[in-house]
Amino acid sequence: METRELFWSLSTWSVVVFYVFGLAAMAFFAWGCWRHYAKYRRGTSPANAINLAAGIRRMLADLVTHRTLVRRDHYAGFAHTGIFFGFVIAAIGTATITLEYDIIKPLFGVQFWRGNFYLLFSLILDLGHLALTVGIIMMMVRRAAFKLAKLDYLRAYRGETVLRQQAKAWRIEDWIFLSLLLLIEISGFVQEAVRLLMDKPEWAAWSPIGLALANVLAALGMSEATAAAIRGANWWIHGVLALAFTAAIPWYKAKHMIAAVGSLATRAEKPLARLPNEEEAKASAGIADISQFSWKDMLNFDACTKCGRCHEACPARATGFPLSPRDLILDLRTHNNTAQGRPDQAVQLIGDVIEPETLWSCRTCGACQEICPVGIEHPAMIVQMRRQLVERGDMDPLLQATLDTIASTGNSFGENARKRPVWTRELDFAVKDIRTEAADSLWFVGDYASFDPRNQTVSRAFASLLKLARVDFALLHEGERNSGNDVRRVGEEGLYETLVESNLDAMTGVKPFSRIITTDPHSYNTIRNEYPEFGAIAPIEHYSSILADLLSTGRLKVTKPLSKKVTFHDPCHLGRLNGGYDAPRRVLEVIGCEIVEMPRNRDNSFCCGAGGGRIWIPDPPGIEKPSENRMHEAAGLDGIDIFVTCCPKDLTMFEDARKTSGHESEFVVQDIAELVAEAVELDALSLKDMPSMAERLIDAVATRIAEVVAARLDEVLALKLDGLAGATPATAPLVAPPEVPGASPAPQPAMPEPAAPTPEPEAERAPVEDAPPPVDTAALPALAPMDWDNLAPVQPAGFADYQAPEKTGLRILVTVKHVAKLGDEYEFTTDGTDVAGEYLEHDLNEWDDAALEQALLLIEANGGGEVIAVSVGPEEAEKSLRKVLAKGADRAVRVWDERLRTADPVTVARAVAGIATAEQPDLILTGAQSSDHAHGSTGTALARILGLPHGSVIAAVEWDGQQSMTVTRELEGGTRHVLRMPAPAVLAIQTGTNTPRYATMRMIKQAKKKPLEVLDGADLVDSSGGYRIRRMYTPVQEKAKMLEGSAEEVAAQIAALIREKRGD
Amino acid sequence: MSGILVVAEQLDGELCDVSGELIGAANAIKTGVGGPLQVLVIGKTAKDLAAKVNLDGVDEILTVQTESDHFDPLVYEEIICKAGSDARPSVILIGHTASGLAYGAAVSARLGSGFASDVFILSMDGDELVATRSAYGNKLEMELGFSGKGVVLLTLRGATFVPPETEGSAKITPVEVDLAALEGLSTHVEYQEAPPSDIDIAKADFILSVGRGIQDKDNLPRFSSLANKLGATFGCSRPIVDSGWLPKPHQVGQSGKVASNCQLYFALGISGAVQHLFGMKHVDTIIAVNTDPGAPIFNVATYGTTVDLFELTDALERHFN
Repeated sequence: METRELFWSLSTWSVVVFYVFGLAAMAFFAWGCWRHYAKYRRGTSPANAINLAAGIRRMLADLVTHRTLVRRDHYAGFAHTGIFFGFVIAAIGTATITLEYDIIKPLFGVQFWRGNFYLLFSLILDLGHLALTVGIIMMMVRRAAFKLAKLDYLRAYRGETVLRQQAKAWRIEDWIFLSLLLLIEISGFVQEAVRLLMDKPEWAAWSPIGLALANVLAALGMSEATAAAIRGANWWIHGVLALAFTAAIPWYKAKHMIAAVGSLATRAEKPLARLPNEEEAKASAGIADISQFSWKDMLNFDACTKCGRCHEACPARATGFPLSPRDLILDLRTHNNTAQGRPDQAVQLIGDVIEPETLWSCRTCGACQEICPVGIEHPAMIVQMRRQLVERGDMDPLLQATLDTIASTGNSFGENARKRPVWTRELDFAVKDIRTEAADSLWFVGDYASFDPRNQTVSRAFASLLKLARVDFALLHEGERNSGNDVRRVGEEGLYETLVESNLDAMTGVKPFSRIITTDPHSYNTIRNEYPEFGAIAPIEHYSSILADLLSTGRLKVTKPLSKKVTFHDPCHLGRLNGGYDAPRRVLEVIGCEIVEMPRNRDNSFCCGAGGGRIWIPDPPGIEKPSENRMHEAAGLDGIDIFVTCCPKDLTMFEDARKTSGHESEFVVQDIAELVAEAVELDALSLKDMPSMAERLIDAVATRIAEVVAARLDEVLALKLDGLAGATPATAPLVAPPEVPGASPAPQPAMPEPAAPTPEPEAERAPVEDAPPPVDTAALPALAPMDWDNLAPVQPAGFADYQAPEKTGLRILVTVKHVAKLGDEYEFTTDGTDVAGEYLEHDLNEWDDAALEQALLLIEANGGGEVIAVSVGPEEAEKSLRKVLAKGADRAVRVWDERLRTADPVTVARAVAGIATAEQPDLILTGAQSSDHAHGSTGTALARILGLPHGSVIAAVEWDGQQSMTVTRELEGGTRHVLRMPAPAVLAIQTGTNTPRYATMRMIKQAKKKPLEVLDGADLVDSSGGYRIRRMYTPVQEKAKMLEGSAEEVAAQIAALIREKRGD
Repeated sequence: MSGILVVAEQLDGELCDVSGELIGAANAIKTGVGGPLQVLVIGKTAKDLAAKVNLDGVDEILTVQTESDHFDPLVYEEIICKAGSDARPSVILIGHTASGLAYGAAVSARLGSGFASDVFILSMDGDELVATRSAYGNKLEMELGFSGKGVVLLTLRGATFVPPETEGSAKITPVEVDLAALEGLSTHVEYQEAPPSDIDIAKADFILSVGRGIQDKDNLPRFSSLANKLGATFGCSRPIVDSGWLPKPHQVGQSGKVASNCQLYFALGISGAVQHLFGMKHVDTIIAVNTDPGAPIFNVATYGTTVDLFELTDALERHFN
């Protein structure tokens, strides 16, 4: 019967020794696995639930097809396929023999490893080992000869010139792994060959590789005795190597064989498109310590094979920023090898292991996780570590300012919310407001498409296309806020949640709509994937698929095919994150463009560099921007006319980059909607005269008939043309558009609203009042007789009910103003003494922020105490009070009465003095002035009302909490005046002397637990105020002569002015 | 009863420009309010300084000699109140300066007088004194009245009112004020002059200045190199110095330097805060670049544009290469 003998010529003792070795190896293996398991157990639970069943199915499919390995590296993919399947076959083979020899035969006396089964087994195993051997050799050649950049561990992007110690170890590890496997394979084949040489079984042909090798050995003249000697010794070599390999698996690179399977099976469904939520109860935000990573993240660390695909794909790395996703994961793994999932106080995760600048380099484009063959999800880890950085305030000042701006105004441009729909004014038709009129589609515009002038033209083009195609749409107008997609990816989770709640609020309780549409892939992503976790929301569609749909159904008709050679840039948030690759390409084809793909397209699209909040962080000069890198790529194509985008941020980035990268004259950057507008000759059409509803209905019927006829005609023509070769005309509408990924089901046709009024032209906005309202002089009493005898000092306000808590240490009082910012458009109140409240946006006064920071620094320097924030302002001012409480103030007091809206600084000082009298602080700090009215007087008045010494425009304070302090005043011309003065005192703090800390929205929310007392300020309104406002008005200004034109044209005019003035 | 009291300002024995401007402003309302116009000079060198404020329209100069010329807000406050109760003026005018800010509102609170700060227009509406100041970040103006107030104290914006050109014939009256009660309250330590620099904003005839609009410190070299190419002195607004991007001598404005000899001022990314305008609004030709068409800088600029300042800089660079 066909089989072979195990343990040939071995004594019982030898077999026992082998079994001892074998069991020891397995024990070592098991111990290693247990260590990993125990480590993972120490990790946190993944924030987003994992669908294990789906994950396992996906993992199996990926393993069987090896698709994640073959992509973008066929050579390595092919080699790994050999290694993987060879190894699986070898493992199954060994397991089969063990099953029979050690379990079934001793227990039941049954043997099956014989006969035909044995022959087939031999053949398959021989071929499997051949594949494995070929794969290993290919990999070795690749490592030794190909000099692949992605396999280079030198961190040149960080300025490294010498390989670090750790990287040398990695190199050795890579070679040990391959060499050990190869030795096992060679010794295995040798063993088979010498056995066949000696035993000469008649079924030797079923082991073709072994037989071939045996024949070679025989031909070389190997005697049976030599063969026997080799067979005896080589058996031990092979066996020990195999056992050593097994034992070592969990301890080095080979662990990926297990970890990668786990990693692939536990992939998140939409890892970056839907970021992990942040637990409300956590003490500090995000991830600050290795132990805070989830077990899945730790599994990811161990799965990494250093293949370098992410390293190659990363746009930050490619342009020299200090981030390589590969090295990030490797550094985390190395650190976790020591920490073993336990908290590590000695080493700072962010700072010692991972640099903040590394985390800030990420553009959350998802290229790394998308190409990772083992399912590592880098961006979600980066964002979670960023959450910690944001909480620490460790971020670029401009980013911090932008987050503040978004928090206060709801948009990243710092514009008044009322300006959001201003771009629609230049349209020929009125755009519906969903708050007053129902519509089929609600257009969520997004910040860039609303406020950026270049993108506004795109928004208008798309709006006109919708109008032309009779798509019934409306806007949220000023109800819309920044969608929060990038805010979340920056790591400001609390602010993100606030934005989502605000947008969801704005979308509920309005008139009905059936879907949301947008031109912004960033808004599209978060509304599609993340908003549903916060509440029910209509499906959302990106304009690329809407345009594809309108063109293919003939609702937009191409009248002038463009005949342009274009390339298309896939936005990360539309393509990689949401699979929307096809719709924009279909649009381009239908309007008559020839698409020339860039080398990096579709899932390998190269990020413009704006994502992850990077658009709010300036790129350092001298370093190539990702967008410039992309421009070079496009310029390398064979003479394209247009670089097409379908994302507002892309348009902004590439418009800039085209110029800065020196390709200005080679091609233009245009949005897809602009091209469609050109192809349907939108300019020639007057949208103002769009037909009324009745005509629309008739028209709709006619269109329907036309469609039916056309379809029939198409069939007939198709039959007739069947035999004719040649492409269909570029303008031919697609008959049945394929399913667009991410698109909602075909939109319902808009229901004709009963008695729908024809849209009225937008009401003329009342012009801003320039003329002052008439002053009623009769009401003004004449100047009272000068009477120095009846003068009376201003007294503190009395708050009889206010009880200050007992003092337990230093107490510093800080005044806080919720300052107003005036937009471009405003109206005055009816009495003409102020701007109507709805035209103002408010935020924490910059100078008070500096004063608070100074207070916190003094408290910290003096070992503790409390800071009390006092504000005179309406309920809305609590926004600023919450902010200062979040930054570290302990309590807040707010004084208000509606009549204090136009209060003068003396009245405000009286109110604060009332609180100060009750609180008896050791020091009072005010901002040197407020950014709205800039009186610069409240502190000085306050000091006098309280009878305290005062310092104004203070740039530095040295104080040990005792009776004397040294302060530095800032004078005109840069001179500083240092003086010593007694405490308590009132100091008015100048900005620029410190950097105020950042309060995340989460900290602001948590600050709601801190006490905030509200006092009635009715008694403050009396005659002791310093002035009465007669009127407020817009000054008639001699405005500058505005130079118009492109930057180039304006530069020419300015150059001429400068030359003239210099007398050149 | 009527009368205007102007408080002269000096720094370490040198009379400040704002003193003459206050007298100019007082002259403008003297008829409406009624005389006399008195000027109060305080300091160790009060008598020497008195001659310098003896300008057209001044009726009397009150000098109060103190132990030192070093500024102490409490000393000023005390003297104004004591001297005021003798002179009994109905209007007190003080400079809206770092020093004026330190005692103006305090005097007012002590007197319970009418009060407004940073006033740049003074007028009379019948019998009532009307003061105009800015509102909402310098974009609007508000007109203030002080009905029912026996005394009105105002701090006036510098570099706004015109000082009288001719000398006056005021009598000089030394006044004694007992300051014993203030002794030991605050102690002068030192004046720290801004470190010397080869940048001299005050002397430059062509200045290229940058503001917050340049976004990042790393962008500075682009603008300094353009300034170099154009042969302009490189200036900036306060936030740039506050952020530590440029040293103090580059700063144009109230807490920096006034561009006194400048003929051409090129403002890039500067919105035009009052403090900055203080230092440059008088310049003959001002070219301003700012993306916000409503920025106050365009109210003082001769030429303006809202194009992207980086694109513009690059284009200009090419012009002057």
